[in-house]
Amino acid sequence: MHEGNTHMLQVEGLNVFYGSFHAVRDVAFDVRPGEIFGLLGPNGAGKTSTLSAVEGLLNFQSGTITVAGYNIKNEPLKARANVGVQLQSTSFQAELSVTEIIRLYAGVHGVPVTKQSLQDVLAAINLVDSGNKKYGELSGGQQQRVSLYIATIHQPPLVLLDEPTTGLDPQSRRQLWERIEALREKGHGVLLTTHSMEEAEAVCDRIGIIDHGRVIIIDTPQALIEQYRNDPEVISVSRRGKVTLEDVFIALTGRAVRA
Amino acid sequence: MQTNIPKTSEALSALMRADFTTQWRNRKSFMLILLVPVVILVSWQGIINKIGAAFAFSTCITIGLMAIGLMGYSNSIARDREKGVFQRLRVSPVPSWTIMVSRLSVQLAMILLLTILVFIAGFYVDHVSITPAGYALAFLAAIAGGAVYLGLGQVIVGLIKNPETVNSTTRLVYFLFIMVGMFSDFSALDEQASGTVKLVNNIVKWSPYGCVKRILLASMEPGTWNMDCTNALLLTFGYAVLLSAIGIRKFKWSTK
Repeated sequence: MHEGNTHMLQVEGLNVFYGSFHAVRDVAFDVRPGEIFGLLGPNGAGKTSTLSAVEGLLNFQSGTITVAGYNIKNEPLKARANVGVQLQSTSFQAELSVTEIIRLYAGVHGVPVTKQSLQDVLAAINLVDSGNKKYGELSGGQQQRVSLYIATIHQPPLVLLDEPTTGLDPQSRRQLWERIEALREKGHGVLLTTHSMEEAEAVCDRIGIIDHGRVIIIDTPQALIEQYRNDPEVISVSRRGKVTLEDVFIALTGRAVRA
Repeated sequence: MQTNIPKTSEALSALMRADFTTQWRNRKSFMLILLVPVVILVSWQGIINKIGAAFAFSTCITIGLMAIGLMGYSNSIARDREKGVFQRLRVSPVPSWTIMVSRLSVQLAMILLLTILVFIAGFYVDHVSITPAGYALAFLAAIAGGAVYLGLGQVIVGLIKNPETVNSTTRLVYFLFIMVGMFSDFSALDEQASGTVKLVNNIVKWSPYGCVKRILLASMEPGTWNMDCTNALLLTFGYAVLLSAIGIRKFKWSTK
């Protein structure tokens, strides 16, 4: 981590174009040490483009992104060395075993691995008996545990989690929340995207809602609910008389289903 | 929370270990790729003395190189791209070129293995051999020829994103090249011909198939090397550079 840096991630004036389509418009937010920041938005709102820019996978047109003090454009390798990523749309080679995947990613992150440390890791992610199982043979929950471990194998200051609990059963989801919260306890900054408002409300310290490429509001889940509790639009979309984060989200982004 | 950029050699070593392991786990499919030229060579046992060892070896190796570059390499790249394997690696602190160098090193090993297998089958089954210099030069020619077909495979995955379409396209191109090979190898087009036939003959002769076949054949019989062979070698390098450049330029790491 860069000396004197106080943010795990700082995004300022980010703009992303696909041809003439302006996908991300002047997006700005930050993730602090020991904070879980949720980036929420409907489909096509600009979440994935923003995340891809932070990961260094997308060449953005203007703006600044710094990860642990390193500018992603000027020092891409240093910036990537300080970020751990769990992407929903990515995978590992299905033919490799869990231990082979751990060895691969330890190698590309310069992390030394011994037989003992491998055993410790497998125990920590509850896969002691599955070390030699191929990744393609693991259950969804097991794959998510491996994926989250790989994202944090090098103890990065910033961890990006793209819809990490999609497709998990309630037990696996709760276990993953605990693991994400443990990262916060250790001082990592976590940027999380999710479509689950329940998840965002339960684990995020702050939330940014993005729509039509713009960040429309940033605050804590509780503050957002309080702020909009008496808003007529929020009341009209609320169910069972109790205002939730989902009601606020729908009121702010509209009821129309996005493609 | 102090993170470091790994040494390139360390990262490359980890990538190569994983890529060779993946290739080994998929050994049934790559054994089929390697077996085709060996089976052809064995089936020519009865006519090998008429066509000559160098001709048989060069034809079989050329067919094997096509299969490696078109079917093996391009399909594995298309499949892993679709699954997001490359994007997962690209967010790590390693230069993107190391990911491709690792993949190409696996293909290089396949090319060497193919060449060795063809020579072994020729020696033990067909009882034919060439000079030591011929064997040595053939390995170099096989690598140069392999680069042409890997470049062509790269163009296909550069232009086509869908792995199913990549698969069917590579099969079609493989079939077309086999047809070109049949024209070339069995003199379906007369050297003394004129007009359209002569034109087609020249196209076949200077096609990627014709050039690779010619340099392989001449490398196994160094005494027969002539100006045509030098031109074929230059064209082979040209094809490899041109196809690789187009393929790399058009290539997208993600299908999204």
